[in-house]
Amino acid sequence: MDAIADGPQVQVKFVTQQRQFAIPETAIQTPARLRRYGLSQIINLVLQNEGEKQRPFDFLIDGEFLRTSLAEYLEEKNMSTENVLTIEYVESMLPPTPLSSYEHDDWVSAVQAHHPGGFLTGSYDNHVRLWNKQAECTQILTGHNGAVKAVQWLTSDGDNGTLLSGALDRSILAWEYNHADNSHSILYECRGHTGGVESISLNATGDKFASGSADATIKIWTNIIPTVSDHIEDVTETRKKRKTVKEDRILKAPISSLNAHTGPVSAVTFSSTSADTLYSGGWDHSVRVWDIENSVNITTKNCEKVVHALDYSQHSGLLASGHADPVIRLWDPRSEDSSVVKQTLSGHQNWVTSVSWSPSSSYMLASGSYDGLIKVWDIRAKGALYTLSHGKASKKVFSIDWSNDILLSGGEDNQMKIHKVQDMTDRAEA
Amino acid sequence: MPSTRPTRKATALKAAPALAKKATPEPTKKAVVAPKSKKRTVEEARDDSEDEFGEVAIDMASDDDEEDMDGDDESDGAEDFPEEGEEGQDMSAADLEEDEDEDSEGSYMDGDSIVDSQEELDEEDVEDDEESDFDDLVEDDIDPNFGHNLNEPLAPESDYNPIIREYPEIDPVYDSDSSTEENENTVGNIPMHWYDDYPHIGYDINGKKIMRPATGDELDKFLSTMDDPDSWLSAHNYKEGQDVKLSAEELEIIRRLEGNRIPDADYNPYEDQVEFFSSKTEIMPLSAAPEPKRRFIPSKHEAKRIMKIVRAIREGRIVPRKSGYVPPKPKYYNLWNDAEDKPREEHVMHITAPKMKLPTHDESYNPPAEYLPTEEEIKEWNEMDKEDRPKNYLPQKYNALRNVPGYGQFIQERFERCLDLYLAPRVRKNRLNIDPESLIPKLPSPRDLQPFPTRLAIEFLGHEGRVRSISVDPTGLWMASGSDDKTVRIWEISTGRCMATYYLDELVTSVVWGPNKEVAVLAVACGYKVGLILPEKLFSPELALHTEEYLKAGFASVTTGEPNPKAQWKQPTPAEFEKGIRVWVHLQKPVKQVTWHRKGDYFSTVAPDANNSAKTKGAVQRVMFHPTKPMFFVATQRYVRQYNLQRQELVKTMQTGVKWISSLDVHPAGDNLIIGSYDKRLCWFDLDLSSKPYKTLRYHQQAIRSVAYHKRYPLFASCADDGNVQIFHGMVYNDLLQNPLIVPVKILKNVHQRVDALGALCVEWHPTQPWLISSGADHTIKLFS
Repeated sequence: MDAIADGPQVQVKFVTQQRQFAIPETAIQTPARLRRYGLSQIINLVLQNEGEKQRPFDFLIDGEFLRTSLAEYLEEKNMSTENVLTIEYVESMLPPTPLSSYEHDDWVSAVQAHHPGGFLTGSYDNHVRLWNKQAECTQILTGHNGAVKAVQWLTSDGDNGTLLSGALDRSILAWEYNHADNSHSILYECRGHTGGVESISLNATGDKFASGSADATIKIWTNIIPTVSDHIEDVTETRKKRKTVKEDRILKAPISSLNAHTGPVSAVTFSSTSADTLYSGGWDHSVRVWDIENSVNITTKNCEKVVHALDYSQHSGLLASGHADPVIRLWDPRSEDSSVVKQTLSGHQNWVTSVSWSPSSSYMLASGSYDGLIKVWDIRAKGALYTLSHGKASKKVFSIDWSNDILLSGGEDNQMKIHKVQDMTDRAEA
Repeated sequence: MPSTRPTRKATALKAAPALAKKATPEPTKKAVVAPKSKKRTVEEARDDSEDEFGEVAIDMASDDDEEDMDGDDESDGAEDFPEEGEEGQDMSAADLEEDEDEDSEGSYMDGDSIVDSQEELDEEDVEDDEESDFDDLVEDDIDPNFGHNLNEPLAPESDYNPIIREYPEIDPVYDSDSSTEENENTVGNIPMHWYDDYPHIGYDINGKKIMRPATGDELDKFLSTMDDPDSWLSAHNYKEGQDVKLSAEELEIIRRLEGNRIPDADYNPYEDQVEFFSSKTEIMPLSAAPEPKRRFIPSKHEAKRIMKIVRAIREGRIVPRKSGYVPPKPKYYNLWNDAEDKPREEHVMHITAPKMKLPTHDESYNPPAEYLPTEEEIKEWNEMDKEDRPKNYLPQKYNALRNVPGYGQFIQERFERCLDLYLAPRVRKNRLNIDPESLIPKLPSPRDLQPFPTRLAIEFLGHEGRVRSISVDPTGLWMASGSDDKTVRIWEISTGRCMATYYLDELVTSVVWGPNKEVAVLAVACGYKVGLILPEKLFSPELALHTEEYLKAGFASVTTGEPNPKAQWKQPTPAEFEKGIRVWVHLQKPVKQVTWHRKGDYFSTVAPDANNSAKTKGAVQRVMFHPTKPMFFVATQRYVRQYNLQRQELVKTMQTGVKWISSLDVHPAGDNLIIGSYDKRLCWFDLDLSSKPYKTLRYHQQAIRSVAYHKRYPLFASCADDGNVQIFHGMVYNDLLQNPLIVPVKILKNVHQRVDALGALCVEWHPTQPWLISSGADHTIKLFS
């Protein structure tokens, strides 16, 4: 605060929604040349945080991150330096740090983390793998006949658990595993798709899951483990060798099929608040909202590009989508407008194939792209907050998953990367 | 004579008062004779114009009245005679009309005068114009030099009369006049030796003989000369017949004459000139003559002339001007007018000469220092050839304009300029004032024509040879590629993953997916045979089963009946069957292209080497089924022919104008087609329009290898050996009257590296998305979105 004297001064008022960092809301005279760091020092000074306790803060003016000095900001916005500037500050997110990298035999096409159960990956070598946090592959689930494109945890409590995997062999397998005796088994096979399964999503209550497939259909399945096979008409079963492979499996038929898409369905995701609301995106450039109870396509939103990935944020209620262009689009699924994109995030160089909201924050978002980069976004900021390299340059990233403080990513370089992300649960609005 | 006239005139004037003071001027014969002769000359000069005046002048001259002579001197020498009461100064006017009013004094002249006047009046009618000038004429021409003093004894012929000289007062006594002497000899100027034989020497004024005075003989003469010391001063007067002793003044005169000097010592020949006719207005005029009477009375002459005009007007010979007449304004001409200032009347053939360039600073006589050449420049300029010099002068500096010498090249330059103007033809150029921008067809901005592929999305790596051919399956999920590494690969489009690889024994020249979505079959041209592949793993069992049945039916339909030697259908080996190959079709020549009928029921192959080209007239390059009708397109080297398959006849021949067609594609609507050629051209044919290309595009730097229409979007693309891929917006309208719109929207540069002079070999559009896939000689396949 010594250098306060020189340069123009601005009156600022600091507010925050994070109670633990609240300071008195009085106007303070600060030099206009201060940037984020200087303002952060002021807050720390007022909070009397010293040494290790010092925290970095980010500053929002009118819902926008301050990335320049105050003076430059005011000049850019043509604002007067006379008025009192209200600045909201939030604790800054620390840069993610790479934790470890799990080697696979082939491209990693699907990743998902679950806290007690470790990590789940699907790979182009047709295997589903279970990993623990010690980078050990605890289980390799073999049974698919094609590249595994989607994995989904069902339950997991330490050693035991169930999970789903969808693959290019048009089937979804439900697995049960037990770490204790190192065994796994196929619970049932969901049959009905005529194209590869691209995406699986479990609903909020966990009693149903949906799958999107390249055959342009979405199928809804129950999460009940059947004891006997559903009767499925299968012309091929009569005389093909395939039958011998599948003899021991219990087959399961979908409870409903959603057929409105006109191209491959590449992403499905359930709303985390409503168990009956499903969002889907496909190659027909549409993002659709479904009521699965009635199998009704509620709204359809169109853009110009193929939808590759969808994720719904329970905190902000926004739908993020990755496309066959370098732009991430944010939608408000509740709005009735068919093609109004609420916001776009640009920064990638290639297709965005996966998006994942932060489980705790309504602003934080991660995305993986074919340009080999993972970007962490705060939707209030203009550019990406952090850009993480998945692996080697320009190796495609197929899937990412943000779970608590872990950011998983799997890609073309046969690796599943784990990044440690700051636990932002306490960033949420009080 | 003319040069002395003013002086003489002045002399006369000055002399006039002096003479006037003489109460009785003495007429002498001499005095009479001299003016007479003068007058004659004048009269002769005037004879041409007016005889009457000449006569009058003679009469007047014969008058012995001195005063009249003086008066004539001042006036015009007309027949105007002074009245008695007036002093000798009377300046009679020249106007003849006045004669009638005035009493003619000289009675003996009256008759003449009256006659003269009468005659003149008669003539006046004839010549009225000249007459007005008459006064001036007379005044100018009459030389009034006859009024000088004649008292000089020894200068009888002398015209000159000293003006300033003071003459001794003459006492007017009786004997003061020598003319009263009795023995005055009156013989005149005759040779006196005529009287040598007579005793007398002449006659006196009374007619009595003057007797010769007695003279002595020679001795007497001698004695007298000896006696008289002044005898040498005497001269013999022949008229008197005796010696006269010369006075001192006379001797002086003789002396001066002998010395060729003016006899009168007091005479100054260079007297100050009297400014008689000068610009100065004299307060006291030299002439103090009172205004003549005629100035105060109306002129009869004028009245006569006026009456003449009035008469003419009455008779209508003169038409007076109308009252509203405005006299024309005087015209003025600018003497120094330049030709260019005058607006020249417009004429097509007239082209004004180009103006000379204006001089610049370095042509100034005092140019700024930076314009002055340095030593080197001067040297260089001097060494340069005359023709090479950029300017034919060197800038030079002078202190003052007056120091500038004449320009030596002036004449030369003017001559050259004239030569240029004369010889160089000036041509009127009709310059079109058209904004070049307006000539460019109004094309929509590529931004408005989205979507079209713009950037590389996925690279498909794995081939180890040139990728000759690519094909996307109807669902848009899979892509097959055939390569020179003798493999066919099948790729997952969305990820770039190679899902299957088929190893064959020949170079793969063409791969094409069957267009039927119910059937998943891939036709592969490989050497002399065509294989049909079912990639079983990628498709659902139902589809695979359907395909199996379809292929079996096709196989059966072909193999039953006569075996065709040109195309033999064969079952693959079990190993090949296990891989997915279902049928081999063996042909006699290497197959270059396979293409499917739109329904997938037929396919066609091209083997350019099989030269059974009686019908096709040239090696077949490409064939293509019509997307909707039973039509078939065959592209030979230069022509594209359209056949009707049902009627088995040629429908149309399209003249491409290119040298060698490389590729062909038909618009999904079927009414347009594009061809690419090895000579870098891309031709768009509108089948309804003409057999000539609707548009020929030449964008590529190298031979075009492949062209392709998008099945859904209004896009087409071409790729060439330069490694570039060009993307066009090619909108075909349903309205038949509207021509297709072709807009280049994107150039993808250096998509494929050039390997062995080959660049991009094949382009293919994704069937549902605006994605372009291209393959190249650099073993790669690239997807652009």
